[in-house]
Amino acid sequence: MLCFVTVGTFSFDLLVRAVLSEPVLDALQARGYTRLVIQYGDSEFDTSVVTRTGLDIELWARKPSLDQDFRRADLVIGHAGAGTILDPLIVVPNESLLHNHQLELATALAASNHLRTSTIADLAHSVTVFDPAALATFEPFDGSRFRALVDEEMGFQL
Amino acid sequence: MHLPIVFTVLIVLYRLYCALPRRRNAVQHSNTKSLAVFLGSGGHTSEALTLLSALDFERYCPRTYVISEGDSLSAQRARDLESSKASSTKYTILTIPRARRVHQSLATTPPTALHSLLSCIYHVTLARKPFADILILNGPGTCFVLCIAVCVNRFLGLSAPKTIYIESFARVESLSLSGKLLYPFVDRFVVQWRQLLKKAKGAEFRGLLV
Repeated sequence: MLCFVTVGTFSFDLLVRAVLSEPVLDALQARGYTRLVIQYGDSEFDTSVVTRTGLDIELWARKPSLDQDFRRADLVIGHAGAGTILDPLIVVPNESLLHNHQLELATALAASNHLRTSTIADLAHSVTVFDPAALATFEPFDGSRFRALVDEEMGFQL
Repeated sequence: MHLPIVFTVLIVLYRLYCALPRRRNAVQHSNTKSLAVFLGSGGHTSEALTLLSALDFERYCPRTYVISEGDSLSAQRARDLESSKASSTKYTILTIPRARRVHQSLATTPPTALHSLLSCIYHVTLARKPFADILILNGPGTCFVLCIAVCVNRFLGLSAPKTIYIESFARVESLSLSGKLLYPFVDRFVVQWRQLLKKAKGAEFRGLLV
């Protein structure tokens, strides 16, 4: 099983450090995860702690495309960037961004049962109790509303 | 002493020129419209490209992807979308300087923003005529200067694209900084959560778009 951790384009030191901490790694292994892929952006952390028996840990600053990781992951742990919320997801809001609107979104989507939220301190527990089957599924992408909006503005027949 | 009179005459002449019918532009019944979209990196780029993927590329051409300096990832993702659409119609990728970097202090922003604005005005006003029929914006800050460049064109009576701002799906309770900045200047202001209609009068809500 694959756990994919992503911080997006910027840095989120606390999240990367938390994921690589003993309690979270223990929790992941206890739930049967054998692979951990971390896209850490500009985050700073101690790279000496990234080997562990039974858990294959892969580190990427950036990846040309995260699509495959999202598709293959059994669990995604990430900031609440819009690109990541269609997946079995635990959101850890990044408190250091200019305006922490990510929390508003994560709260709204957690309220509709589309994802789980967690603080840094609770991450190990959140991993332990995470059950993707209990999450509500998203509607597939429907571009017709936006297409109608632009066509209407440009005077095309709908 | 004659200065005010000269000035007034000049303005009247200029506005008369602006009011002249433009037969060149009368051929507007074309089946295609040119489109420009700003790709603001990260989640902004994801949302903008997802939105764009919904459009008919044979109808909206040529397309211009406007990216910030150094954002090669957005450029690559734009190229990926283009190749996945396999449209025979043309597109270009245009790079402009950033108005403000993430975590840049608000105090040092003005000179950076001015540089960015001048570049946008150059591209929107001078480099290509017309720039586009429609311009899609969804943040962050640098897209504001692009929008202002469009407003400068409008003020001068030059051709300017229609502007649509799509507030990020990630904005539930409060508008983003770019949303607040662009709100007075764009033709259409679209939000993706109903709660935001209270924050922006005249905004449109059509459900989730991405």
